[in-house]
Amino acid sequence: MIAATCHIPTIDTPDLILRGYRESDFEALATFGGSQRACFVGGPHDRWACWRAFLAGMGHWSLRGFGMWMVEHRASGQVAGRVGMILNDGWHEPELGWHIYQEFEGRSLAYQAAQAARDYAARHQGLDRVISYIDAENIRSLRLAHRLGAQFECNADLLGQPCQIFRHPAVGADA
Amino acid sequence: MTLTLPSSRIETDRLILRLPEARDIDAYVAFLTDAQRANGFGAEPDRPRAWRWFALNIGHWALHGYGYFTMELKETGTACGMTGIWNPEGWPEPELGWVVFDGFEGRGIAHEGAACARAWAYDALGFTTLTSNIVPGNTRSVRLAERLGARFERSYVNVQMGEDMLYRHPGPEALNT
Repeated sequence: MIAATCHIPTIDTPDLILRGYRESDFEALATFGGSQRACFVGGPHDRWACWRAFLAGMGHWSLRGFGMWMVEHRASGQVAGRVGMILNDGWHEPELGWHIYQEFEGRSLAYQAAQAARDYAARHQGLDRVISYIDAENIRSLRLAHRLGAQFECNADLLGQPCQIFRHPAVGADA
Repeated sequence: MTLTLPSSRIETDRLILRLPEARDIDAYVAFLTDAQRANGFGAEPDRPRAWRWFALNIGHWALHGYGYFTMELKETGTACGMTGIWNPEGWPEPELGWVVFDGFEGRGIAHEGAACARAWAYDALGFTTLTSNIVPGNTRSVRLAERLGARFERSYVNVQMGEDMLYRHPGPEALNT
């Protein structure tokens, strides 16, 4: 019999809980996906496309053994975004990605989430010195990549769209 | 948390219905990127998007406890199609779906698989009714739906497929009498 489970670990940070997916997370994801905020991740998407992304995010864990976590804001219990490692077909290598939803911007939560995810991936998933794909016009994400110590590596093309590849430092190297 | 995938596996005379596994990806991609063959199902433009469909089907299993099975030919172990219960966001109700991959048509595989998946949905999942959504012009699927005892109920606009026909299957009681 096939092992029919896939464990999604939970990670605690001071303000956030990185955890697996719940059906009730979908509305927050669809609100983000349908907004202009999603313009740097291939959006805005209609509800149907958001639903596909939500389920594919779960399936990714099963196929790859890693993936994006839902980010829950501990104090409010609300979903604040998604963060984690992405290796969809067509990706050059595993990517650290982050989506932070509107109400949670400007509080360093993306930094906190990305750092926790990057650390976990390096220590437990064999994914260190990973990349992030960033649109050259996505100023906020460029700033966050810089704050995380990632360096511009090259211009690239992801699913037909131009983007920049940033390389993260080895986890522990900055300690 | 743990993503739990049911360990459902069903056998018919010629088929094994099982959860999709990574080794099925190429067969799914070949089907999904074949614009003509996947027209009534929802074709994908390229391999990356077909891969994501494969991943979302696994997510569907994890979220709902059901989804599309891979139909495997017992004799050869080859993936020859999919059948199962599908219930995406925006769907009118859960549906019984089926497709047969290139080279496996004309052997009654879809009928054998879909009848089995329907019985499983009634017996194991407790569904009391099931529909199938068929795009106008897909005469093969209409024929199979009718052969399975389903009847045309109404036309409507589907979020993915556009104009669509809804067929309703006989319920569990009707099948058991």
